[in-house]
Amino acid sequence: MVVYSIYIFDRHTECIYSKSWLPPSPHHHPSTVPPSVPSITTTTGDALPPVNGGTTTGTGPTDRRTSTRTQKQKAGDDAKLIFGTVFSLRNMVRKLGGEDDAFISYRTAQYKLHYYETVSNLRFVMLTDTATMSMRNVLHQIYINLWVEYVVKNPLSPVEHKGGEGVKNELFELGLDQFVRGLM
Amino acid sequence: MTVFAVIIINKAGGLIYNRTFHEGGLNKISTNDYLVLAGTFHGVHAITTRLSPVKNVPDRNSASSAGILTRPEPPSGLEVLESENFRMQCFNTLTGTKFLLFTDTTQANVDVTIRRVYEMYSDYVMKNPFYQLEMPVRCEMFDRKLLSYIREINNR
Repeated sequence: MVVYSIYIFDRHTECIYSKSWLPPSPHHHPSTVPPSVPSITTTTGDALPPVNGGTTTGTGPTDRRTSTRTQKQKAGDDAKLIFGTVFSLRNMVRKLGGEDDAFISYRTAQYKLHYYETVSNLRFVMLTDTATMSMRNVLHQIYINLWVEYVVKNPLSPVEHKGGEGVKNELFELGLDQFVRGLM
Repeated sequence: MTVFAVIIINKAGGLIYNRTFHEGGLNKISTNDYLVLAGTFHGVHAITTRLSPVKNVPDRNSASSAGILTRPEPPSGLEVLESENFRMQCFNTLTGTKFLLFTDTTQANVDVTIRRVYEMYSDYVMKNPFYQLEMPVRCEMFDRKLLSYIREINNR
């Protein structure tokens, strides 16, 4: 199994933590890219949907800077889209299955999304490959063993994690990375 | 093994058919709520195709040898949704019509069932000369055949 990424949303619907285990796309095939392709794709890179991994193989420092900025923006947009999706699906599931029903996961041909929501409306989302079984208990473990231990019990961490404040501490990030790498 | 309901959504996101087969499986919701649900699902389905973390990188080696860029398989949207009380399978046809099948969480071979429903739709709805495209499905023959097919599954 492969874990692609993890997103954590607080009760104010803000993405307070996200981490991707995907290899960064710019360094996919630096040598095999024909020299004519990057010059074409970098000019129209912003307008194109990000299907080709060679889009951001910029040569100059300016190219690299813009590419990292757009990538950061893209990650933020992705988090918003993911939140919208799980929010809508959760409401749909509750409407159909009753108030006690809980949305667990959905799968497409490319990936699978797992969802876990705590009583305090903290939402954990994990994207994995399609062959993975239910990861709900894994997300629950992350909540119990990592979130509660390293974020909630941290006396220096604020109650509200605006902009990810208090979540991005060394112990939590290290623990999460180790835990997820242990799964793969 | 129970099929709770079947919903058909047209390519514009409008609800054109909904029918429940098993009482107590899903909550009773009004037709208006079903319409809202169909529209919401249509939007969510479109978003889920865009969220794919694995980008289809066209194979450059084969492309350069063949002289043309091979088109990668388009990303698919939501196919299966699981919750604690039910499971929903979505089948998106090439023309964008969506078939949603709500079953219990242990139902097997939903792929086969949903394709059979699609077959019935093409036989008894699309071949009905009085059916107007993209409009709500009101075909007695389709109703009857679908009911007998689902009943057979539910009684198995």
